[in-house]
Parts: sequence; C-alpha cells; structure tokens
Amino acid sequence: MKDAFDFSDFSRAERIGLLIFSLFLIIFPWIGASSFLKAVMIQFLLFSLFGMGWNSIGGYGGQVELGQAQYVGIGAYTVALMMVWWKVPFWLSMPLGVLIAVGYSCIIGYPLFRLRGHYFAIATICTSLVLKDIFENWKLVGAAKGVELPIHEHPDFLYMQFKSDTYYFIVALFYVALFYMNRFRRSKLGYQLRMIKDDEEAAESLGIDLRWCKIKAYATAAAFVAVGGGFMAVYNLYVDPASVMDLDLSIKIALMAMLGGTASLWGPVIGAGFLVPLDRFLGSWLGGHKGFIGLDFMIYSLLIMAVSAYQPRGIWGIVQQFFRGRT
Amino acid sequence: MKGKRLFLYLVVFLSVLMLTPMLFAAEKDIKIGVLYPLSGSLAGIGRDLQRAAELTVDIVNNKTPGVDIPMAQWGGIPSLGGAKIKLIFADHRGEPDRGADLAKRLILDDKVVGLMGAYNSAVTKTVSAVAERYGIPLINDSSTSPDLTNRGFKWFWRTTPHDDYFNKDLFELLKGLTEGKVKGVKAIPKNELKNLAYVCENTEWGSSVAKSIEGFAKEYGFATSKGMLYNANSPDLTSEAKALLAAKPDAMLFASYLSDSLLMIRTLKGMKAHTKFFWGQDAGFEMADFAKTLGTDIDGVLTRTVFIATLTKVKKVAGQVNGLYKQKYGDDLTGATARAVVGVQTWAYVLNKAASTDPKAIQKACNEINIPASDLVMPWAGVKFDATGQNILGRGLIGQYQKTKEGTIDLEIVYPFEFATANFIYPFPGWD
Amino acid sequence: MIIADTLLQGILMGLLFALVALGLTVIFGVMDIVNFAHGEFLMIGMYTVYWTSLLLGVDPLLVLPASAIVGVLLGLASYYWLIKYLLRGPAIAQLLGTFGLMLFLRYLVMFLFGIDYRIIQKGLLVGKSLAIGPFIFDWTKLAAAMLSLIAFAFVYYFLHKTKIGKGLRATAVNREAASYMGIRTDRMNALAWAIGGGTAGVAGGLLVNFYYAFPTVGLLFVMIAFACVALGGFGSIKGAFFAGLLVGVIEMLFPIFGSLIGSSFLGPHFKFTVVYLTYFIIVVFRPQGLFGWKH
Repeated sequence: MKDAFDFSDFSRAERIGLLIFSLFLIIFPWIGASSFLKAVMIQFLLFSLFGMGWNSIGGYGGQVELGQAQYVGIGAYTVALMMVWWKVPFWLSMPLGVLIAVGYSCIIGYPLFRLRGHYFAIATICTSLVLKDIFENWKLVGAAKGVELPIHEHPDFLYMQFKSDTYYFIVALFYVALFYMNRFRRSKLGYQLRMIKDDEEAAESLGIDLRWCKIKAYATAAAFVAVGGGFMAVYNLYVDPASVMDLDLSIKIALMAMLGGTASLWGPVIGAGFLVPLDRFLGSWLGGHKGFIGLDFMIYSLLIMAVSAYQPRGIWGIVQQFFRGRT
Repeated sequence: MKGKRLFLYLVVFLSVLMLTPMLFAAEKDIKIGVLYPLSGSLAGIGRDLQRAAELTVDIVNNKTPGVDIPMAQWGGIPSLGGAKIKLIFADHRGEPDRGADLAKRLILDDKVVGLMGAYNSAVTKTVSAVAERYGIPLINDSSTSPDLTNRGFKWFWRTTPHDDYFNKDLFELLKGLTEGKVKGVKAIPKNELKNLAYVCENTEWGSSVAKSIEGFAKEYGFATSKGMLYNANSPDLTSEAKALLAAKPDAMLFASYLSDSLLMIRTLKGMKAHTKFFWGQDAGFEMADFAKTLGTDIDGVLTRTVFIATLTKVKKVAGQVNGLYKQKYGDDLTGATARAVVGVQTWAYVLNKAASTDPKAIQKACNEINIPASDLVMPWAGVKFDATGQNILGRGLIGQYQKTKEGTIDLEIVYPFEFATANFIYPFPGWD
Repeated sequence: MIIADTLLQGILMGLLFALVALGLTVIFGVMDIVNFAHGEFLMIGMYTVYWTSLLLGVDPLLVLPASAIVGVLLGLASYYWLIKYLLRGPAIAQLLGTFGLMLFLRYLVMFLFGIDYRIIQKGLLVGKSLAIGPFIFDWTKLAAAMLSLIAFAFVYYFLHKTKIGKGLRATAVNREAASYMGIRTDRMNALAWAIGGGTAGVAGGLLVNFYYAFPTVGLLFVMIAFACVALGGFGSIKGAFFAGLLVGVIEMLFPIFGSLIGSSFLGPHFKFTVVYLTYFIIVVFRPQGLFGWKH
C-alpha cells in the first residue's frame, strides 16, 4: 500500500512535474476556463484513465490490445441498467461492473493468450466486435437504442450526478488509477511482466506462468476501463453500443497510450493530453461546419505518423530524449 | 533533429492558437445553437440541413419579397427591436457524448438562448438531457424516435411528427387500398394484400420502425410473414434480399439509410424481385441522391416523407421557399431540409411571442405557440405542442416515384388521399 | 437449391475478399507489418476507377489498370515515405504508424472529394444479370470474381516463377539469409508494398462497379481482410485464397441458415459476427491459421 505513494524511483524533474500538474488539476475549475475547456479536461482525464488501464496489458504486458471498448461497455451498461431496472446506486453498480468485466476478461483471456503479436491484436478486435454486435441486437439491454439514465436533482452522491462538479469526481478516479498503476509497476506482477517482455523463455525457466501473468494484467486493464465506462454512463446519461463499445473507442485508447509512450507511468497521460485536446479543438476549429471536412483528422494523423516514425517510444520518449541530450 | 524541433514548435503554436477563444456575434444578435452531423457518415444530410437553416434565418433577418409568410417581412424579430437571429452551428459527428459536450459549450460559453437539432435521435437524447439540466429550450426539428417525447422533459419540443405517426400513415394507406380510397386504383381484396415483410437497419431508428410496424400490423389485421434487421454498413445484401424474397410477401417495407437502400434495390433488381407494394420509411428513400442514382429503376417505389417538391403545386409558400432554396443550392427541398426550415421558423415565432430572451419566457411561448397552417411550407395543420412537447398538428406524406413522359423520375403524392397529385401505380411494376 | 445458389454467390464475393487479403498477407510475410491502411488502398482504387471512367467517358472495366497503377504508386510511396522509417522501431510503433496512415488517407480523400457516395452508373455490364439455369448472377460481380481470380493467378505466377518474385519469397522466409545471397531487402520490401497497394487498388476498382465508394468504406473491408489473412495464416498466399472463399461463403450462408431453421435471432445482422467468431475459434485451436507458417 505504501508502494502506491512511493515515487522515489523517478527523477527529481519528474516528481516536480507531477506536483505542478497536480496543483494545476486542483485549481483548474477556479481559473475561469470556458465550459468547453472544462469538458475537454474531463475527457482528457477519462482517457488518461483508459490509457493507464490499457498500459497494464499493452505496455507492461507487451501485447497490443485493440478491444478495450468491450470492457468500457460492460462497465457502462452495468451501471446504467442497474440504475434503470432496480435503482441501484453507483457505488454498488460500479464495483459490480468491474467484477463482471474482470470475470469476462479472464474467461476470454484464457484462449486469447494462446496468441501473440498481430494475431492477438486482431483477435481482440474480433471479440470486441462480437460483443458489440450482440448488444446491438439484444432487446433486453435496449439493443441499438441504448439505455437512458434518468436525470436526478444534483448534487446526487448516490447516483453520482452533478451539474458542474463532475470534474472532481474524475480527478479523484484519475488519482486512484495513478496510485494503483504506480503500485502495479513495482509489484511482483509488474516485474514478472517486464521479465516476460524482455525474454519469455528465460522467464518461463524461472517458473513464471506466462499465461496466468498476462491474464492478470489483462484483467487489470479490464477493471480500469470498466470504471471509466461507469463514469461515462453517469456523465453522459446515455449508453448505447455505438458510443461505449465501438472499435473507434478501442483504437483511440490504444493510440493515446502508444503515442504517449507505453511501459511508462506518464505515457498514457501525455498521450491523452495531446490527442484529446487536439481532437476536440481541431474538431471545433476546423470541423465540418466550417466546410473543411476531414482537415482536423488529417493533422491528427500526420502527428501520429511523425511520432511513430521518429520516436517509437512515444512523446514521453521525445521528452526523455530532450532532457538527456542527443541519444 | 532540426525538422523535429520545427515540428514540435508548430504543434505548440497550433495548440495555443486553438486555445484562444473566438468571439464573433454582435451584441444585439440572438444566438441559437444548432447541432447537426456535419462530418462523418451523415455529413451529406447535415450539410443540407445547415443550408436550409441558413436560408430560413436569412428570410427572417432580411425582408424577403416574394415569400408570403409574415416572417419574411420582419427583418429581424419585431418584438425584440428587430434583433437578428444568429445560428451557431456545431458538428457532433453522430457521437452522443460529443453532442453533449458541444451543447454545454453552446450554453455556457456561447451563451445561446436556445438550441436546435440534432437529427440523430441518439445525439438528441444526450443534448436534450443537457438542455433539461440547464433549463435552456431545445426545439427538435428532425429526430423521429418516439422515445424523445416520452421522458417528461420540460425544455424539449419537437416540431416533426415522429415515427409512430408515419407508420400509422403507412397502414392507413394499406387499408385505403383495400377500401378503394386510393386515387386511380379499385379496391384490392384483403387477401391479396395480407402478408407484409419488413427489412430494417438495426440501429436505434430502424429497430424502432420495426417494432412500430409489428404493432400496427396487429392492430390493422395484417400478418408479418418476415421481419429482418440488418447492418446498414454491410458491403453486400444478397442474403438479406434472398431471405426476403423467399417469404414471398405481398408488401415489402424498408427502413434504410442511403447506401444500403441503393444496394438493396440494386440487389433486388438483379434478382428480378416481385411484390405488390414496395415502401421505404424515408431516410435513404427520400434523399435527392436516391432518385438521381437509381433513375427509372424506382418507378412505383413508395416513400414516407414530410415534404415533396410536388407540393409546390398545391401550396404557394412551399413553392416560394423551395424556389429560393433551389436557386441557391440547386436541389429541391426534401423532407429533412424542409423540417429544418420549420425548425428555424418556429424559433423565430417563439422568440417573437416571448418578446424576451429569458428562458422561462421562451418556455412559456413554446407551450402556447400556435403557428397557422398557411404560414408553413409543410402540408401540416400548424405547429402546436402538447404537454409532452410534441407537435400534434404535423402529418406525414407518402409519395410514389413515377416515371414521367420524358423518362425522368418524379415523386408524386399518394397520401393523404385528398392531396394526391397522381394516380397510384399498383401493383409494383418490378424489374422484368 | 437455395444453398447451392448461396454457395456460388459466396464464392463470387469470396474471390474478391481473397484478392484484398492477398496484398495484406504478402506485406506481412515479407516484413511482419500489418497494414492498417490496406482498406484505404482499396478505397482509393475505387475512387480512381470512378473518376477516370467518368472523366474519360470510358467503360470502368477498361480503366481497371489505372487503379492498379495508382495502387502500386501508393504502396511504394507509403513504403519510402513512412514504412521504411517504421521498420527501425518496435512493433508497437509500426502499428501506430500504419494506423496513422489509414486515418490520413481516409480523411485526405474526404477533404478532397467530400462525403458523397459514388458508384459506377454507366458501363457495359452495369446492372445486367446473367441467368444460368435457375441461378441469376449479377454481371459486375461475376466479372469482379473472374478478374480477381486472374489477378490472383498473376501475382501467384509472379511470386513463384519469376526471379524477382522468388527473391521476395526468399526474403519472407529468411530476411538475413536472403540478403547474404545478394537479394536487397529494401527493394523487396518496396516490392511487397507495391503488390499490396496494387492488388488492393484493383480489388477496389472492381468493387466500385457494384458497391459505393465513400471515404470510410475501407474500414469495412479491412476487417474482413484481417479475418481472412489471419484465418488463412499470415504470410500464406494459398491461405489468403481459401480463407477469402471461406469467409465469403460463411457470410452468405449464415442468414439463410438462420431463416431455414426458423430462427429470427440468428439473422443477417449477425453475419459478420459469425465471421469474427470463426476467426477466433480457428485461431485459438490452430494459431497459425489454416496454412500459416509464420507464427
């Protein structure tokens, strides 16, 4: 537990950076930013959460996963349905959603981890698409219509509905995730995963159960994104397969973590920090209503290509390189 | 290394540039936020809707001769000192959460007095939830999911009739055929027109239509021998078409968007499909591209719609506004775009009645508004909202594509019976 | 009877899928990269044939070589301006890179040509069908299937009977050994991308005769292509062929199957779900796919 708060193995610069960033997060609502900026901030924190989760399997686990959206969906639907059917408060439905997501990830993880590399990546896409297709046609959960959550008088702590203070909620979740990941990377599992990533055979010869370790990492990722999904449900007050289980979402999550730099604690946050504002601002500045359809995405994708070609370790890699001088 | 640095600077510069808030709108303007899908798969419709909205706001803001609607002579909102309406468009791309964020921005940052949109029913759901939370009026011009007015919202009004109205029209037409009420056709014996099959795309819209059809079929005494939901993005619809034909239905009913409707008809044509009654629930079947692409292949195809260009023959103001639209953009108004016209028009009337930009005043005005039929380009009885916010004076039309003497294709009105502009073609000619 | 008809239709579509999968598998075989932008190559092939045929007023089937040429150029450009640099980095960066390429091409086309849907309207075979006994076939699909087969055979011949082609296969099997033998890896890589782009372009050029071209059409087909390649085995040309046929048949057969057993739950809306599930099952129990030799 103490491990979670121990950042001593990071450089001084990094720790100071974290402190400044945290201060910024806390005072942000008071600096008079526009609501658009606030919304972007919330999306940024949400995607940081998703990215950190992804990092468990994609970064530390070393297997690129492109189907996280299915767990976002599980988390979101559990919270939404429990509220609509039985008026279950968020604090009960969210952990349940996490439990279901973890359970599901273990079940499909078992056969899934017989695969590696590209085969694995595509298989994760397939499983996500299959679940989405099922939800789109399953009348019980609303099929394509989705589920609308009733509006409650705010602030509502039982069902987590706020007018403008949702911000602190997601900040809290963000920190819980950050501390958990900090502990994760220094835990036994974290070291085992690093070993596996470096040299699978050696790891196996030391008695590490490869598949089981990966499944645990995968379950961690599922849990993280399910929490994010639960948040989405009470924030947007609407869940449908297209918005919580879409392939685009999985890819965005993976993209942000990869762009920021995998296998580092800050990578996903940086990646989200770059791509979320870029996406939202370019979208509103150069989007369809100005007559330029697609220009914003073109800039977005040029950035992705440039980073992937020049600094495969992501933006964090660029930053590290900058501080260390030439490679 | 130098290239990398330059690139980094460029990105930082762009980011800073974008973070600078942009203000434009003169103080006196009344700002209304409009959310449409302006990029993504429905961008074509979004663009058309934007154009229609802009045209209408021009008519309201500037004295426009040649349009016999009172608002065309206003030159701004009279009761607010001639203040002009300014539409602020936002592109939600079909994503409900983006729509919600944009709605918040429009309300909190741009300080709009009201909202309009958002076409996609799923996005309208989240946008209206935001409006409801902040107490800002939203007038929905174009989303037809019946759910939207079933939520007990106090800040939501919808001018367009919803899918249940339209599906009822379909069954009235079917019933009318068996009773000889349809222009140009003698009564069809009931057992000749008994089996229906529906093929609907499987998202929110299509699946609601499917459910609605099932319900009305029971009520009107028809049998649904086959009901299919399909994926609108499918690259191939051969097996769906085959399954449909295997059921040998008397009537084929579709709820499809553009590319799938085009694909479906081509596929059915390739199979030389036969049926007596071929109907599409608007959307794809109603778009300008549908007729342009398929040409005379769609002779006899029926589509639900709310506005047909032929209406201009029977309703003068429809012709006048349509003329302006056609002059500027080259196309006739369609059901979707005409509703955007009505949406902006309703906003103008509501603001004028409220004589204030205070939300509560606008809310009261919406609840009490009554726009007469003669002021609308639509063949409706008017605009008047019931307690759930639904316009109860709206109605749909059913049009039939018919070959003209010159070999082109035209859309004629066949329902309501009293508006019929041509004889009904029965049975469906098919493609032999 | 209805099954026979469906099988035949499935094979027709399957041949096209096989062509799309071919390019993907060749690229992977030679350099272990999964080209996410493959669907966009297809999409650009579609637009090429559409515009050339429209502007020159020539039958779309005659301008098919244009889509092949554009595809080849696109493949080469992608290699020399992006992929080459990605090869130096880890697999994650490569994935990211081709992903960025996919988005870029997609939105470039959207920016240049707008979001409207386009399909070939005029052509020798457009809208006509051929009836053989009780079977009715769409002429454009038939032509697409036959030309796919020819293209496939052409590439197969190229890879097995020509010196360059053999060099490519050698590089795929063992890059280092091949380079010691004097086969230049860089050239072979570029060649692989040329083939990938060219085949996808041709497939697109055939597709636009009966399916709509729009900027996001690539996404649909790339997923099918992935499933085919993985099913057939990454790097296996034979595998791409059979997997393409298999997927085409499954996709056609499934909805019929559902209606034959009278179930409305198993309907056409699940036809691709079944493809994905099939991929999953096969890949779990036989991870190298049907014919794969690369793991």
